[in-house]
Amino acid sequence: MQDYLTYSVYGSAILLMLIGLYAALVKKNLIKIVIGLSILDAGIHLLFVAVGYLNNATAPIFSETVLDKNVVMADPVPQALVLTAIVIGFGVTAVALALVVRLYRKHNTTNIDEIKNLKW
Amino acid sequence: MVISNPIYFIALPLLTAFLLPLIGKVYKPLIRLTPGFVFAFMAYISFDLFLNLEQGKAQIIQIAGWAPPLGINLVYDNFSGFITLIITTLAFIVWVYSYKFKKVGFDNSKKFFILMMLLVAGSIGVVLTGDIFNLFVFIEITAISSYGLTAFYKGRDGAEAAFKFLFIGALSSTLLLLGILILYTQTGTLNMAEIAIRLKDVPIATQAIILILFFVGFGIEAEMFPLNGWVPDAYSQAPGPVAASFAGMLAKAGIYGLVRIIYTIFDLNGIFGLLLIMGILTMIIAETAALKQKNIRRMLAYSSMGQMGLIMIAFALNTKAGIYAAIFLMFNHALIKTMLFLSAGFLTYSTKDKKISDLDGFGKIMPFTALIFGLGAFAIVGLPPFSGFWSKLSVLTAVADKTYYVILATILLISVVEIVYYFRIIGRLYFKKAHEEVKIHKPSWNAQVAMSVLAILIIVVGIYPDLITEYISNAADALFDKSAYIKEVLPNVSLN
Repeated sequence: MQDYLTYSVYGSAILLMLIGLYAALVKKNLIKIVIGLSILDAGIHLLFVAVGYLNNATAPIFSETVLDKNVVMADPVPQALVLTAIVIGFGVTAVALALVVRLYRKHNTTNIDEIKNLKW
Repeated sequence: MVISNPIYFIALPLLTAFLLPLIGKVYKPLIRLTPGFVFAFMAYISFDLFLNLEQGKAQIIQIAGWAPPLGINLVYDNFSGFITLIITTLAFIVWVYSYKFKKVGFDNSKKFFILMMLLVAGSIGVVLTGDIFNLFVFIEITAISSYGLTAFYKGRDGAEAAFKFLFIGALSSTLLLLGILILYTQTGTLNMAEIAIRLKDVPIATQAIILILFFVGFGIEAEMFPLNGWVPDAYSQAPGPVAASFAGMLAKAGIYGLVRIIYTIFDLNGIFGLLLIMGILTMIIAETAALKQKNIRRMLAYSSMGQMGLIMIAFALNTKAGIYAAIFLMFNHALIKTMLFLSAGFLTYSTKDKKISDLDGFGKIMPFTALIFGLGAFAIVGLPPFSGFWSKLSVLTAVADKTYYVILATILLISVVEIVYYFRIIGRLYFKKAHEEVKIHKPSWNAQVAMSVLAILIIVVGIYPDLITEYISNAADALFDKSAYIKEVLPNVSLN
């Protein structure tokens, strides 16, 4: 039973990433693209936390219970990493939305097909 | 000196960037002066540290007192020290150039210098860090500040270019994060030296997947072929000094991260073939695209991509001569491309579209700036007696040593293409009649100083290449000898 639970977390993380990737690559609306990138980030974050998870483990905080050798702790490193990654993802999303506002003011649209002053 | 410590390269610009608005409240002109003091100090300590660094040694800085396998560490060895030296010197020169940036109002220069200092801090962080997750954080600091710098001008299409850059950058950084996650699950550590030891037990297929994810992540900033759609847009829409620092700092940090990962952490021979193919594709496509550009900034951006392709080819040779040539090229490309962008900024200051055809006869109208641009063009295509000649020569000999004659011929052929599009501009500058009614903008004295310093450096290195060849060959040793890196970071670990 526990195994299925673990797999379902991994599965939903990967599903989230694929949904985000789909939105980022297929959608034409700038806001939807930013949302897609954000969902993609969320998927990675979930995967990070899932990797550090252990069955029946306590939180990795130093306390009285930790001194007991039988107590298992979850891996704290992915949790520390995911906090940093969330902050970075937040920063990128904020910059992206600011750019969308600038683009909307200039072109009066959020459709990427109509914003093509620069050719590739 | 006691004060010289590599931690200042990251801590000082970060701290100053966030203090700059407060400093501006005290006395407005300090907004422009403070970055200069900081960059000058950083350039000074990087010279001090680099000249006192023994060959084959590294300075390991522990952060927060945790010894390397556990804590984050900075590794200042011959290679990272050399790249840091380039970045800090360029940062100071770009500050001298843009000291009077946006004469009216301190608000713009405040934003500009804050983002600029974050860009410098991030690029140096990428170069110095010895922790794989820290590397990701610094890549993101660099990326976010360069999105902001790209969109700096409201009048241009900066936001469009920046969004393009942000989209591809955000996707690739997600892949980079995924790569770090898989690497962590396989090795259980984030320290680059320890990962290098433990990767031996990881299956080759897993290693290849991780390496490809890293390859994509760094390929964006290293301007590698399928990932470099943002380059011409960002370079042409960003302010002039920003384009110069993208070529000098961002691209250098990207390629540094890529080769550090390939050479120091992984031990996969197949990747060199991939890097070689990518380098050749980048070079051919970028240089042929440069040929048909009408906008001078876009042309320089494509030329920058082509040079990065050449650097990738040299790194992909996996010989000491190849690495030596690549580092020499990185040095030259950083100096010369910065000089070209800075002078092109003034040549096309008053024209709206920055067209190459607007430059007719500027050799007589703006003799100094045109001369600097001409010097840069001669140097980058690799004519003696400029420094570009020696790096191109060393690339060619390194390729010939490996008996890759087809690649040798390709590089020579592409050099001809390069000569065509650079000399076309020189022809327009000096041998065409000027348009009537040209508006010109005389470079200010500080910009002239910045460009002259770069020009003098290029000529001096061209005439006496021995001044720096020893340092470059030490740097190549430091990158090529992976066991020395591991030994310096983790002195107590035996390698077998």
